[in-house]
Amino acid sequence: MGERYMETAQTESPRVASLITSREKVAPLITVSVVGQQFMNTTDLDALSVVDCDEPVGLVTRQKFMLTLFRRYGFELYGKKRIIAIADTAPLIIHEEERLDVAMDKALERQDKDIYDEIIVVDDADRYKGYLSVKQMIMQQSTILANSVMQKEIARERARELERMSQVKSQFIANVTHELRSPVNAIIGLAEVMKISTEKGQTDRMKERLSLLTTSAINLRAIITNILDLSKIEAGKMEVFNDGFDLVPLLHEVAETARILAGGKPVDVNVTGTIGSLVILSDMVKVRQIMINLLSNAAKFTERGSITVDLTQGNGEVTISVSDTGIGIRREDGEKIFEAFGQVENAHIKQHEGTGLGLTITRNLVAMLGGRIAMSSSFGEGTTFTVTLPISPISH
Amino acid sequence: MKAKKILIIDDDDRHLLTAKELLEEEGYLVMTHNLGFGSTNIIKAVRPDLVLLDVNMPALSGDKLATVISGQEATQNIPIVFYSSNDEDSLRRSVRETRVAGYICKGNILDLKNKVAYYLEQSGNCRTASRY
Ligand SMILES: Nc1ncnc2c1ncn2[C@@H]1O[C@H](COP(=O)(O)OP(=O)(O)OP(=O)(O)O)[C@@H](O)[C@H]1O
Ligand SMILES: [Mg+2]
Repeated sequence: MGERYMETAQTESPRVASLITSREKVAPLITVSVVGQQFMNTTDLDALSVVDCDEPVGLVTRQKFMLTLFRRYGFELYGKKRIIAIADTAPLIIHEEERLDVAMDKALERQDKDIYDEIIVVDDADRYKGYLSVKQMIMQQSTILANSVMQKEIARERARELERMSQVKSQFIANVTHELRSPVNAIIGLAEVMKISTEKGQTDRMKERLSLLTTSAINLRAIITNILDLSKIEAGKMEVFNDGFDLVPLLHEVAETARILAGGKPVDVNVTGTIGSLVILSDMVKVRQIMINLLSNAAKFTERGSITVDLTQGNGEVTISVSDTGIGIRREDGEKIFEAFGQVENAHIKQHEGTGLGLTITRNLVAMLGGRIAMSSSFGEGTTFTVTLPISPISH
Repeated sequence: MKAKKILIIDDDDRHLLTAKELLEEEGYLVMTHNLGFGSTNIIKAVRPDLVLLDVNMPALSGDKLATVISGQEATQNIPIVFYSSNDEDSLRRSVRETRVAGYICKGNILDLKNKVAYYLEQSGNCRTASRY
């Protein structure tokens, strides 16, 4: 029978020669009581092969030997006999080049009472080489099995990852293509409309259209910036420039931006906390970007109520929280929002603009600054994002 | 001649404004509605010769709306064309799933004019019918 093709290099079964447990042997004419002595003195001796010159002729396992000997009158009956008289004279004998899995199959084909008996190993000339322990083989086999299971699991995990990536990619097509094209198409349309009215000498609504054009371009730039930022982060090209700056005025500045973003909605934007000034050593541009992302989300997803920015300090860290009274995030959506293009809303019926990159970028930036970010929310009531940053990069 | 009526449904005012002016330039009568909801009633009232329908709209998407419109007896014969910034493949899929007349990609002005003329003609309402 040829080798099975299925067996690949990584799961190849070892040869039994490499697994020989012991080379212990006794001559067939040794008395049972001497062997008994040997078993008594060597507690980790599980078996003895009976070998005549170089040829194995039997096997005595500790378990069966003890059973025979300690049976009623056992010692009296057998003590003076030759060991070969009570040995198993037809033990399983296997060639040293046999594969472990084949040896294993043969061992397990034996009668139940013999299954765990040691296997005698011989060479090409049928000379005794030692024996191997079935118990040990079972352990060996299960390690191989575990390894191959692990390898399969790794492969499966990789397949799942690829699957997930392709899902992310198609989400990219659904969301970003639309988000990118929509302002571009508006710009093209507006430019064309303005061209027509210029040709006709109608300049009355020019100003209004120009400002629409500008908003579309700004909108587009924001999306492109996000995409480029994320590529930069993923390529490991984002650099950190640390400088001392006061966090408090920065928070007031971004709060002002949030007020503009909230537009006409009845939403109050407040900065709370008693700290009047707090200088930290960090990358100001990135801290501002983090805060703008969180506040623009709060402004976007809050219809009424308030947005509160709070600042506390302690343990060499500053903690900035942005709380809103907006739509909230369901527990089951809590994980996906930090993933690239992860949005709670379905692209076709989205109420809110955006590509789903803001929080991915934010999370990466926070990590680059040595901080952490957390979110807690109560669906329908509001959301709080909490960013913790070291006061100085080495204060940790 | 009586100008053909076109109704544009889109949640984005920029697109409504530009498409309206560009098509008016072609001599059509153009009406706009900036919400998916209430569209069927408007269609019933206006009885347009063609509806340009955006796909991505809050709460009620264009593909859902198309199914609703073509599912009602009073509006089922009014031709609908998607007018969207979506990926062309995804538009083709939407067309197949909803059985609307076709799609027009936003941002291509020549295409907008040509295709609108084409779909009007298709529905047996050729704009130049007054010639005969
Ligand atoms: N304050 C919030 N309240 C409710 N939902 C939120 C809030 N912030 C984020 N989300 C949810 O998390 C999603 C991901 O946010 P993220 O900032 O990454 O993307 P976006 O705001 O949709 O788009 P972008 O920021 O790229 O313009 C949002 O689409 C929204 O579903
Ligand atoms: Mg955002």
